[in-house]
Amino acid sequence: MTDRVPVTVLTGFLGAGKTTLVNRILSEQHGKRIAVIENEFGEVGVDQELVIGAEEEIFETSNGCICCTVRGDLIRILKQLRKRRDRFDAILIETTGLADPGPVAQTFFLEEDLKPFFSLDAIVTLVDARHLEQELEHSPVAREQIAFADVVLINKIDLVDGTTLARIEQRVQGINGTARIVRTRNANVPLERVLDVGAFDLDRVLTHDEDFLQAPRPFEWAGVYALEPGEHELILGEQGHPHDHDATAAHEHAHGALECVDLLVLPAEEADGALDALLDTAVHVFAAQPGPAVVAAHGPVPSREVARLRIGHHAHYALDAAASSHVALFCEHAPEEFGLALSGARLLDERRFGSHHHDPDIASIGLEESRPLNPGKVNEWLSYLLQSRGQDILRMKGVLSLDGEARRYVFHGVHMVYDGQLERPWAAGARHSRLVFIGRQLDRAELEAGLASCVA
Amino acid sequence: MSQPGSQLRLRGRIDLGDFPIDAAWSPDGHSLLVACGEGALQLVELDAAPAVRSIGEHAGGALALAWQRAGNAFASSGQDGEVRLWDARTLQSQVLLSDRSWSEQLAFSDNGRLLAVGTGRVLRIYDTGAALQARFDPQPGTITGIAWRPRLPEVAAVGNGGMRLHRLEPQPVSQDHPFKGAALTARWKPDGRLLAAGTQDGGVHLWYVAAGTESQMQGYGSKVTATEWSANGRYLATCADSAVIVWDFGGRGPEGSRPLELRSHSERVVALAFRPTGTWLVSAALDRRLLLWRVGAAATPQDAHLLAEECTLLRYSRSGDRLAVADARGGLSIFDC
Repeated sequence: MTDRVPVTVLTGFLGAGKTTLVNRILSEQHGKRIAVIENEFGEVGVDQELVIGAEEEIFETSNGCICCTVRGDLIRILKQLRKRRDRFDAILIETTGLADPGPVAQTFFLEEDLKPFFSLDAIVTLVDARHLEQELEHSPVAREQIAFADVVLINKIDLVDGTTLARIEQRVQGINGTARIVRTRNANVPLERVLDVGAFDLDRVLTHDEDFLQAPRPFEWAGVYALEPGEHELILGEQGHPHDHDATAAHEHAHGALECVDLLVLPAEEADGALDALLDTAVHVFAAQPGPAVVAAHGPVPSREVARLRIGHHAHYALDAAASSHVALFCEHAPEEFGLALSGARLLDERRFGSHHHDPDIASIGLEESRPLNPGKVNEWLSYLLQSRGQDILRMKGVLSLDGEARRYVFHGVHMVYDGQLERPWAAGARHSRLVFIGRQLDRAELEAGLASCVA
Repeated sequence: MSQPGSQLRLRGRIDLGDFPIDAAWSPDGHSLLVACGEGALQLVELDAAPAVRSIGEHAGGALALAWQRAGNAFASSGQDGEVRLWDARTLQSQVLLSDRSWSEQLAFSDNGRLLAVGTGRVLRIYDTGAALQARFDPQPGTITGIAWRPRLPEVAAVGNGGMRLHRLEPQPVSQDHPFKGAALTARWKPDGRLLAAGTQDGGVHLWYVAAGTESQMQGYGSKVTATEWSANGRYLATCADSAVIVWDFGGRGPEGSRPLELRSHSERVVALAFRPTGTWLVSAALDRRLLLWRVGAAATPQDAHLLAEECTLLRYSRSGDRLAVADARGGLSIFDC
């Protein structure tokens, strides 16, 4: 199973730039022999010897189980490619805009004729920064393409402003907490971000967003400011481009009009370490105060309790932080979403927490366990989970520390199918199980309890 | 003197140096044509010392071969999108079709006058003068198997979504036989009453075309990639994981009965072939073993050989006196039987 050919699946809506990306990959001098299977005919240079056109064909089963559907066209073509003596270094599958990534991925888990020769390397989803929010709103397929992705390429970033881009990234992370997000223009992306990504190396995936493993916090952003002497005013609705109506419209479209924001002000002695020191307090205050009072226009905004502030064009609130040299703000939403500014103050440190603009449908949950797990119990739990929730679990990945096993057990799955193997040994002191689930209506508490039941 | 077919005696082994994808015997059994993964068509002459020569190529890889039951015409197809019609005497060919979709299915009618070609979702019929006789409307799914109905100008073409029976006379017309699932093979019972197809979701679908009914045999743990009839039409051999499952069509038929299970392979069975006479069956599996069975008489293998690599195809010559067995490393073994 060692020299299986890695397969990259490229999804994304029509017009997102898939063809540009494929052409770029084919024309780049990378010395790799790459076969491309394309489901959308006509645009990639046909004289390319290794471009194979195919019509998408979903093999359903008579019992109608979506977890058993595979792609007949891919089975046929890959079975033939396997017979060529001069093997390929990589295979790229370009799907149609509306393709469900599930059957594509499942093909590599379920098809006995392919498993020994090909391995799914990564699902890469290319999106158009201008249209993504609208597509997420209206198309379940768009949400699933994000949910299934290991890498999300946000293309055409030159055509949107920074505020919109930040909002899009948050939205993507809200659906899929493990996807690596890459910003591109003209689909110009380093090849190693797309091919041979090894997306199932969770170490690489999780280090960029450790926080994703934590239970969701009631705030998305925290910042600590140094206060200059005098009056201070919180200003909400300070848009980067106040008259950019397009950006505003897209914003409201995506989240529903953001009318209020919940915010907590905590005085701090100094900037260094303030956020870490105050984090628990902030979580506590938010939890203890489920229905914050709406602060009257112009304030003052109290400290040490959650305040609900209306957002409007240039809503100004006096800040009551008398006598502190520093102040920490904990905000329900990221500041660029509602145009936060604090007058007479300098932002010294900030921290972002997992987005909780969770998609009503799809979200991701990360779990950790430092105690070794019992392999039999893990197997039982995953089997139960996949039997009972398989249709709702779109992706799962994990690195497990198994009792009595020196090597890391790495697994990944799509719906009800998964594939796992023992990999390199744990480094001393690094043993630590981590799992990620992406799916619909997942229950963190249920998953946490399930994992806890697997402890050896 | 042992009974014909009861033993496999290795006659010779040739290295083709390439992955054998399909093979077809000449009608007289003196030569074997092999289509390979890199695209070469290799003709193996077996009369004197075995000799191999390359007679042509489909750039990018060959896909399928078919040779007339009696005659000098054979056809080939490849990933270059072409279907070629060859004359075995001159080894010259002409292009019948050049298409973006692959033509993975080729079959000559019993009398050898017509060639059916399955290209993507479209079935076409050519005559041996290279003239297009019929082009049928696209089917619901890519054609994964075609078979001429014995003694009739009718072709069954199966794929995702079911089977279509295409009739040529008095004028071309197609009859749809849909079912939910993907059919992978197409094999007529020798009497032409019934078509059997293995399916992706682990079953065998049976269309009793003459009677207008159908049924499905289920319980396979994996997809069914081989469905082979014995010459007398009594047995239908299929494979599921490491077992060969044989349905007995004698008496009241297989529905509701328990099939014969031939178990000796230790890994997944990948190819089956019945000898053209009698009930001798060969099976090959990923365990690299080649086993000979006498179906209906014994549940244990009657002969066994070990191949160098995974088997890619099994082909009996028309008379059943020779068996060609190819492996993934390019080894071609010829057995006398």
